[in-house]
This record gives sequence, C-alpha cells and structure tokens, in this order.
Amino acid sequence: MASSRGAGSQQAIRMADLEKMSLDQLKAVKEQADIEVNLLQDSLNNIRTATGRLENASAALHDLSLRPQGKNMLVPLTASLYVPGALDDADKVLVDIGTGYFVEKTMAEGKDYCERKINLLKSNFEQLIEVASNKKTLADEAGVVLQAKMKQLSPSS
Amino acid sequence: MSSSATALRELQRDLENKANDLSKLQKDIAKNHQVRKKYTIQLGENELVLKELDLLNEDANVYKLIGPVLVKQDLAEANANVRKRIEYISAELKRLDSSLQDLEEKQHSKREAILKVQQRIQAGKAKA
Repeated sequence: MASSRGAGSQQAIRMADLEKMSLDQLKAVKEQADIEVNLLQDSLNNIRTATGRLENASAALHDLSLRPQGKNMLVPLTASLYVPGALDDADKVLVDIGTGYFVEKTMAEGKDYCERKINLLKSNFEQLIEVASNKKTLADEAGVVLQAKMKQLSPSS
Repeated sequence: MSSSATALRELQRDLENKANDLSKLQKDIAKNHQVRKKYTIQLGENELVLKELDLLNEDANVYKLIGPVLVKQDLAEANANVRKRIEYISAELKRLDSSLQDLEEKQHSKREAILKVQQRIQAGKAKA
C-alpha cells in the first residue's frame, strides 16, 4: 500500500524531472541508463551460467552417488588421456568453497552445498532482475521524452 | 592591446593546465572504482568461505590449494586466515573510500576553477 504508492510517486517524479531537463541532459540520462542496463544484463547472464554449472555439479554428484564402490571407471589425467581405475570411496567429496579452499564433505553435505549455492544464486538473480527492469523503464522513459522534445524543437519537416 | 592579448593567452594556458588536471583526476577516480570493485568481489568471496567453514564440524578436513598442491590445513588456521583476509580487505576498502571522497572534492573544486577561468576569458574577449 504505502510502498507501492511510494514507488508510483517515484515514477511520477521521474517523469516530471525528465520533462524539465534539457535535451543534452536527457541524452546523458538515457545513455547512462542504457549503459547500466547492459551491465545488469551481463551480470544476469553470469548468474545464469554459474547456476547452470552448479546444477551440472549437482547432477554429477547425484550420478556418482548411484555408483557402487569398486566399479571400473576411466580416470581423466588430461583432457585427452584417460586411465582405467576403480571407484574408491564415493561418499567423500572435495568441495571448492572459494579463494583456494577445499573442504572434504560427505555426499549428502555436498548435495546440500550445491542446493544452498543454487538457492543463493537464484535469489540474487531475482533481485537483479528487479533492478534491471527498473533501469530499463527509466531508459525507455528518457528515450520517449527525448524523442518528444526533439519533435517539438523541429516542427517543420 | 598586446598586454590584454598576452593576458588572454595566459588564461588559456591556465585553462589547458586545469583541464589536464581534471582529466587526470577523472582517471584516478575511475581507477579507484576499478580497484574498489575488485576488493568488494574478493570480500564477498571470503565471507562466503568463512560461512562455509563455520558450518563445518571440528574434525572436518580442510585443504588449501597452493599452486598445484592441495595442502591439508587445520580448520582453526583456515578460519584465522580467512578472517585476517577479510579484515585486510575491509581496511583497504575504507582507505579507498576516503581517497575517493578526497578525489571527488578535488574534482569538484577543479571544475569550479575551470569555470572561473573560462568566465575570465569570455570577459577578456568581450573587452577586446
């Protein structure tokens, strides 16, 4: 109620401000908003990629947990060299938690870790989408007002 | 006549100098933002690591990647290291904040000085 009214009046204030601004200022505002929208889009893409990678990791973990111990497998030594081996204890996994630290976790903890990270990224994603769409609206409004003003200034044609 | 012409030239030279100073200030501000961004990202990552370490049991195994080697680390030591890094990064960020404020003030006053010189040049040209 109060918050939506606040957001609505913020929108109204912005329109009034945009109307008052000169052509140059409007152009500057639109450019700035466009740059910000692009940056936010990049961040959104990064989050999407990271979430995808985490989901792959989670799926791989799940797959690993289904394999019996001692099962024959091919171990990658390089990108093109694999060596036959047997699956050792699949209950312990090493998790990269960042800044060069790895933690030994059980399979369940590992899955839980992936879940937690995915949820964290998803909530960041939602927040970013909101900010990005607000900025986009501002950029569009500035563009509309800019075009209207330019038409006003050159009525002959 | 000629004296006002030389005065005008001096003013224009002064304007050039001030404009150069302003662009240097702006470059410094941009660099400050870049370094700030890097540190903020590192701070976030380290805080995540600290949270994960806090969730661990006492006997969990922690390894640190040093070059190509995974070295087993003591949980307490890892905690201490990460905390120290967080402290260091926070101190750096605070330092950057104050130097950014300083730079922005200088930029503002430089802009005003440039405006004044421009006005004097206009006045000088009007007289001549």
